Amino acid sequence: MSHGEADGHDAGGHDFPPMSSVKRWFVTTNHKDIGILYTITALFFLVLGGVLALLMRVQLWGPGESILSAGAYNQAVSAHGLLMVFWFISPFAFGFANYVVPLQIGADDLAFPRLNAMSYWAYLFSGLLFIASFFQGGTFDGGWTMYAPLNVPTYMPNVGGTTVVLALIMFVAAVTMGSVNFLTTMYRMRAEGLRMRDLPMFSMSILLTVWMMLFAFAALLAALLILGAQHLIGVNYFNTDGGTLLWTHLFWFFGHPEVYIVFFPALGIMAECFQTFTGHRIVGRKWFVLAMVLVALQSFVVWMHHMFLTGINLEIKTLFMVTTIGISLPFDLMVFSLIYTMIKGRIRFTTPFLFSLGALILFIIGGITGVFLGAVVLDYEFRGTYWVVAHFHYVMVGGATGLFAGVYYWFPKMTGRMYDEFLGKLHFGLYFVGFNLLYFPMFGAWETPRRVFDYALPLGTWHKVATIGGFLLGASFLVMFYNLFKSVAVGEEVGDNPWEYGTTAEWAVSSPPPLENFEGKPSYASGKLSFRDEPELTADGSGDGGPGGNPSPDGGLASSASESSSDRRSDGGVRAESATAGGEALVTGPEAVAPSATGAAAAHETEEPHADHASIWPFVIGLAGFLTFLGVSGVQNGGAYYWLTGSGGVLSAVGFVGLAREPFHVPEPTVAEQWPFEGVENMKLGMWTFLASDVVLFGGFIGSYLFLRVANGWTHWHHAFVPEAHVTFPGLVNTYLLLASSFAVVLGLVAAHRNSRRGVVAALSVTWLLGVGFLINKGLEWQHLFHISTEAFPNGWNVGTNVASSTFYLTTGLHGAHVVVGLVMLMYMIPRAMNGAYLGDDETSIEYFGLYWHFVDIVWLFLFPLFYIL
Amino acid sequence: MEEAGGPAVGDAVLAGTSGIRAPAEVFNSIFVVFLGLGTLVGVVVISYTLYNAYKYRYREDEDPAPEMERPELGELPESGGKGKKLFLSFGISALIVLSLVIWTYASLLYVEGKPAEAQQNGVEVLDVEVDGFRFGWQFTYPNGAQTAELRVPADRMVNLSVTSQDVFHNFGIPELRIKSDAIPGQTTNTWFVAEETGTYQANCYEICGEGHSGMTTKVHVMEPEAYQEWYEGTEGTESAGNETAGGEDHALTGPDERDAPGALVPARAGGVP
Repeated sequence: MSHGEADGHDAGGHDFPPMSSVKRWFVTTNHKDIGILYTITALFFLVLGGVLALLMRVQLWGPGESILSAGAYNQAVSAHGLLMVFWFISPFAFGFANYVVPLQIGADDLAFPRLNAMSYWAYLFSGLLFIASFFQGGTFDGGWTMYAPLNVPTYMPNVGGTTVVLALIMFVAAVTMGSVNFLTTMYRMRAEGLRMRDLPMFSMSILLTVWMMLFAFAALLAALLILGAQHLIGVNYFNTDGGTLLWTHLFWFFGHPEVYIVFFPALGIMAECFQTFTGHRIVGRKWFVLAMVLVALQSFVVWMHHMFLTGINLEIKTLFMVTTIGISLPFDLMVFSLIYTMIKGRIRFTTPFLFSLGALILFIIGGITGVFLGAVVLDYEFRGTYWVVAHFHYVMVGGATGLFAGVYYWFPKMTGRMYDEFLGKLHFGLYFVGFNLLYFPMFGAWETPRRVFDYALPLGTWHKVATIGGFLLGASFLVMFYNLFKSVAVGEEVGDNPWEYGTTAEWAVSSPPPLENFEGKPSYASGKLSFRDEPELTADGSGDGGPGGNPSPDGGLASSASESSSDRRSDGGVRAESATAGGEALVTGPEAVAPSATGAAAAHETEEPHADHASIWPFVIGLAGFLTFLGVSGVQNGGAYYWLTGSGGVLSAVGFVGLAREPFHVPEPTVAEQWPFEGVENMKLGMWTFLASDVVLFGGFIGSYLFLRVANGWTHWHHAFVPEAHVTFPGLVNTYLLLASSFAVVLGLVAAHRNSRRGVVAALSVTWLLGVGFLINKGLEWQHLFHISTEAFPNGWNVGTNVASSTFYLTTGLHGAHVVVGLVMLMYMIPRAMNGAYLGDDETSIEYFGLYWHFVDIVWLFLFPLFYIL
Repeated sequence: MEEAGGPAVGDAVLAGTSGIRAPAEVFNSIFVVFLGLGTLVGVVVISYTLYNAYKYRYREDEDPAPEMERPELGELPESGGKGKKLFLSFGISALIVLSLVIWTYASLLYVEGKPAEAQQNGVEVLDVEVDGFRFGWQFTYPNGAQTAELRVPADRMVNLSVTSQDVFHNFGIPELRIKSDAIPGQTTNTWFVAEETGTYQANCYEICGEGHSGMTTKVHVMEPEAYQEWYEGTEGTESAGNETAGGEDHALTGPDERDAPGALVPARAGGVP
């Protein structure tokens, strides 16, 4: 797409409607709007998960009481867990993260606003997909841990079970997009003078959370993709020897970091609230942060403590006992740090502080009862009981308590009005009493088996108290909702900073903040937050720094900030002109281009490009994903499901093409603290982080293969499961094809440097042809293997034949899908190259594509020996 | 704890093995200590927290620490000091946690190592295979006899080899404080010594499908003589009975003895559609 083509005629709308308009909420890419959308959606799922929990509590009023059938109870248990862990807690925290993090770090928006919107819509629609599963013969009923092989179609034949797996895959996609976006933003767009270590506590907690998310969710994605394939194309993984344990490994490698992913944002909010409402700086802040970093790292080496009873040997048990104790210690430090922060403070017992203090107390109880589980001999008995249920609710819902502190803390900032303090305190009182009445008796009734609605009679009193507590806890939210609704309308209006000791940058702007956050450029260069006038900056700078213009080492303002919009618009929604759209569209594939130097310069000459805030395509893509996944869930049943899949597919294509062709300008800050990625453009950093998660995804697949192969006998595997016809040669040919194609991309880059349009087109075309050759060769190989007829494999060797064929087709198939995606990108890039794109300094797109393509190539270099030689 | 890893009680063979410290005892003694210490620490820490929250509450008329420098809007973050005190309390808490866990580690070694040690010392051990299936349990004795409820003699070390015929289950007898995952395609072991005769309940502790809540059975701990008599009567009965143990059938109210379910669900489910 040349710059000329990119001009105008875009129906997606650069008209940015006001907040009162419904349209605004479908097209917005502004981080504050999306933060509000996340918060409201998450609260909706809280209500849904809460109602399911209350149903369970009613069932547990007496042993074996039944308002739910056994099957319905299992569904309620499973859906409650999945909805609360995935669709409520983290997205709720990310509502605040979306709203607050850019404000706290001094950025106008996230690095990739449309990706952010897409992440939200994928989240919302994945949740709707989950809801749809209830109406497809029942939802997933195997617990939120989804243990194998109960999770395979043999035991879970209903379509709803498959839909939940797909909903989770879509959710993980949303999480990954969010992680990439937040990492890029936080490393590349901080206000001048704001070092990484200076990030406010909440932003710091989000940074560590997204790092954990990036890797942990990739492991979950591997598990889910395999499970999805097991449901849809009948591969054999979790139903084979070793498959049960394989699931537990994959799940808990994700599942344990998930605990901290859920808890960290709450911890960040607690730290903010403690500092603000005690009027005392966090004691040992440096150590607090260090402790969080330690936990984030250690979270990836404790997963097997969920598996102490699976017959793992004593050495491994010991090792994981040690790491488990190790990860509990940094939390001690954080708890003491918060307690000592109160000393010599001037504590104001506002609602957010009460929730923070409450969260701290609940977390202390959760932590102490967790030490019980760290002692392996005790863990043996607590496994699968209400001790575990009570403990993790104290930790996780304790964490949610911190998030509710966030609701009240930032409510004035988000709405410009103060909540009702009395109702807030009432909410806290009911919440705290209800919480402890609900969960503390579970320690008393700990001998009740988990996920069972029958229990010994003497435990009845505990369960009755818990049920009463549950309803009290539920009722407390009615107070909260009433308070929030009422206060949005008639709450007292507040100024910039309603809290006396608020320190972070969001309190230095109006409530609610203007659309692009700051009047003037926020800077900490003087050691204290100040705002520099834009005109001063523009006058200061000469010419444009181009993509990722580096601030000069002294932090001076040599490279101008001309890209940031000069005329500030209020939030009210003003027509944002798309200007020249000289800065190219920033989209999610490598076809995306950072604001090119030439484009930006051209824009500079005419008029400054405004940042765009509206795009309908993220919504369209989210909707398309919903239709596609809903169709795929029951595609084996045909009928309407075919139509759903088909229309979803078409809509996806429309959405992605629309997104790619839409001129959408996102200025990269030219003056920003960017350590340690000063020299890396946003797009490149985004690509790097995405590939990092992809490494874990492939790691999950390769690890699964190795695990199953060892479980089945390394050599036995080869002799019993793999036909003679599976030879090395096609793989070898494909290795050469891919290596050659990677080389061709490098040539393309060289040609772009030399301004050779023909060279670029030729190199990209060769790359494409080699990729197609790879796929054809693979297709021929697979076709042959599918139809062999030998004594051992009379019906061919297809995906469902045995565990070896399943691992082979699925792992190399995932790689093949990556190749296909690369080829699609090339089909977008080649016509553009013919029109003269990518030349000179504009070669970054080829570089991003090259990063991806080389990665795909390197993965093959691992797969080839694993699946063809060994 | 004095017996943890202590000398074997090889000479107690004829008199039963009541000298063996059962997992239930190990658990109960540790649990009590943890409960006591946990409550103490919890009460102290939470009280201290609330005390400080109250003491340093904001009052318009007096400021307990007027000299303190307060946080200001727009400042770069700084620490509030008192690092020394922080590390002191951190050190104390770490010490408590570490010593507790190291102490229990000895018990872990004991529980894990006991079966092998018993075997070495020639202690009489009863080996029973436990097979979980949706939704019941099958017990196989050394003579091949199979039952749907577990019968064991009192004061004898019982070694369970637990597996599953279909999905992931977990076999546990809460009163005897033993538990073991039942995983298809693999065997896990656990052991116990029941000192008192009586009937106990066994549950499934891993969600396994609709009948999960009712997947219970009974464990009969019998006088050794009575057990011996019953055991000898089972010779050659492994194929007896064809009653399927239904998931809805609560063992507490079910028949006293159910023979081996003959019509078990198919052993392994293939995933090939």
